[in-house]
Amino acid sequence: MQNVLATMLQPDSNESLQPLYTGNNSIWHHMSDALHQSIYRVLSLLISVLPGILAFIVALAIFTLIGMALSALLRRGLSAAKFDDRIARNSGNVDWAPSTSPTALIARASFWACVLLGLIIGASAFDASYATAAALPSSLLPYLTHVVGAAFLLIAGTLSARFLARSVLIGAVNAQLQYARFLSLGIKWLVLVLTGAMVLDHLQIGGNVVELAFGILFGGIVLTLALAVGLGSRDLVSRSLESHAEHSGEHGVAPTTPPATGSGDSISHF
Amino acid sequence: MATVNPIPDVPPPSERSGDGLLVLLAAMPQEQRESLLANLMASFPAEALLIASPDAISDALPENSYPSLRIVAAPASGISWTLTAADFVNASQLAEKNGARAILMLGRESSSLGVSALRDLANSVLTASTDLAIPCYDLPPHTGLVNSAILYPLTSALFASRVRFPLAVDLGLSLRMAERLAGAAQHFTRLNQGEAPLWPVNEATVAGFAIDQLEVGPHVQPNGPDLNTIFPLVTGALFSDIEAKAAFWQRFRPLPPALSTVPMPSAHTADAAADIAPMLQAFQLAYTNLQEIWSLVLPPNSLLGLKRIATADAATFRISDNLWARIVYDFLLAYRLRTINRGHLLGALIPLYLAWVASHINITTSGTNPESHIEAVVNAFEAEKTYLISRWRWPDRFNP
Repeated sequence: MQNVLATMLQPDSNESLQPLYTGNNSIWHHMSDALHQSIYRVLSLLISVLPGILAFIVALAIFTLIGMALSALLRRGLSAAKFDDRIARNSGNVDWAPSTSPTALIARASFWACVLLGLIIGASAFDASYATAAALPSSLLPYLTHVVGAAFLLIAGTLSARFLARSVLIGAVNAQLQYARFLSLGIKWLVLVLTGAMVLDHLQIGGNVVELAFGILFGGIVLTLALAVGLGSRDLVSRSLESHAEHSGEHGVAPTTPPATGSGDSISHF
Repeated sequence: MATVNPIPDVPPPSERSGDGLLVLLAAMPQEQRESLLANLMASFPAEALLIASPDAISDALPENSYPSLRIVAAPASGISWTLTAADFVNASQLAEKNGARAILMLGRESSSLGVSALRDLANSVLTASTDLAIPCYDLPPHTGLVNSAILYPLTSALFASRVRFPLAVDLGLSLRMAERLAGAAQHFTRLNQGEAPLWPVNEATVAGFAIDQLEVGPHVQPNGPDLNTIFPLVTGALFSDIEAKAAFWQRFRPLPPALSTVPMPSAHTADAAADIAPMLQAFQLAYTNLQEIWSLVLPPNSLLGLKRIATADAATFRISDNLWARIVYDFLLAYRLRTINRGHLLGALIPLYLAWVASHINITTSGTNPESHIEAVVNAFEAEKTYLISRWRWPDRFNP
């Protein structure tokens, strides 16, 4: 294959025999040589990579099919064995939503495990065929694993940010803090900034600039939140301390209802 | 279990089997315990009683203080004042070990129960064919509002029971009822969730056991953790129990009418208007901030209803009974479907509950009997039950 390509890409020997201008002929000859050689190298490289790509696609397709078959098999088998009912009996009151029943979870997990296995095997096959060519920069494959890791970090960080923001929002609303949304947004952006910095660091992008920017942003958000909470919750803290002092003086027990709920003396929730 | 005060002339449990009443006490201050024990001794012969108390482990209950009583140590309850799964397991084990014929569980502040109330609760399970004797407290207006807003209406509508206080902390149990509750509680204790409250009325209804509701007079409601802590615990436990018993309550069972013979708390009228402004502020704040979360749980119709009441002024603030029933049912459905994190879900229900409290206070101060309003809420829950069943079975159906 390489010989055929080399023959095709070699300059025509007749051209050198028809010189119009001697000086230009030499330059043209060198330029043509260089161009042909570079085209030859690119095509050779592509041809050497193609089997690896093909191996990757075939491995991924085969393992995806295996995963689908295994998932269907497990779903049928576990349904026939009434696996969900057994789990429900053993785990007491911990019930499962229909979309996340144990059977569905196991089937889905097995499918994605097969897909992941296909990805790993495909990548190894690609790596093996690619190493023989040894022409591309050797840092590409390790960098791909960094990209996958960064994607996981990004997903986990986004989910954590949403969860924490909701927790803070609901807690702050129930504590009757007027700046509940601001606090929730602050927490959300703290986690997102942290996640962003971790992702960039994992991808080795930006270097010191990212660290510096992260430090400034994180510190700025924390300072803003501290000022807001410190200034905004003075009344809440003083009310809470007064209430605690009164109750401990009277009964020695904690108050039944928070001052935030504002229940009068005649109201008891339980 | 160590016996703190083993009295030599008391016959062993095997010989006393059949006449014993196991009284399981919650931890309580000394003066309350003394008052309660005095009431118990006035109600029953001392030799028929077996007292189990967590205070017997410590020096809070000295050996010689009650020489006529047999006192055994019971494991301590958790921080919550409710009866927990661990309490029911302990009660059943102690009853079996000591050959008791019936169990009287007395929670915190049970010293406020009179002699006749204690006697009625115990006799109901000792002499009658009742499996669960449950008290009906006579509470002042604006007391036990979580019970009136959520626990009583939900239990009534879904389990066709007219028990007014499903979360009562003073109970009389037959042995088979105790065994049934211990069986249900073991699921929780096995999972290290011994602090979870149990629902004896629901268990008894599902098992087909006899329930007797007894008027016990005034009662002091126990102190406990603040609303933001206890509300998710209690409502979450009830929602879980309803979820676990879905096959039972989806069958049609008519709610028994509120007969005049059924004891009900006295028809107190709200003589003084409570301050609803802080509750309305809590609702307004939540309406501004929790729209995003509520819109994941509530259908557009309910959101529209909330929008209307959010603009109402304090004097005319009302939540219709049907809207409240639908809100609770939608939260129950979201709890089942795990639409959002369950802790978040129950936290987002608190401001809506406070809005209901404000509305209830407004209604009662305008002259309506509080019990009449609570019965109207129960009827609304009963009327909206078809909505719950429909959405429970087909949650993905279009719901305007």
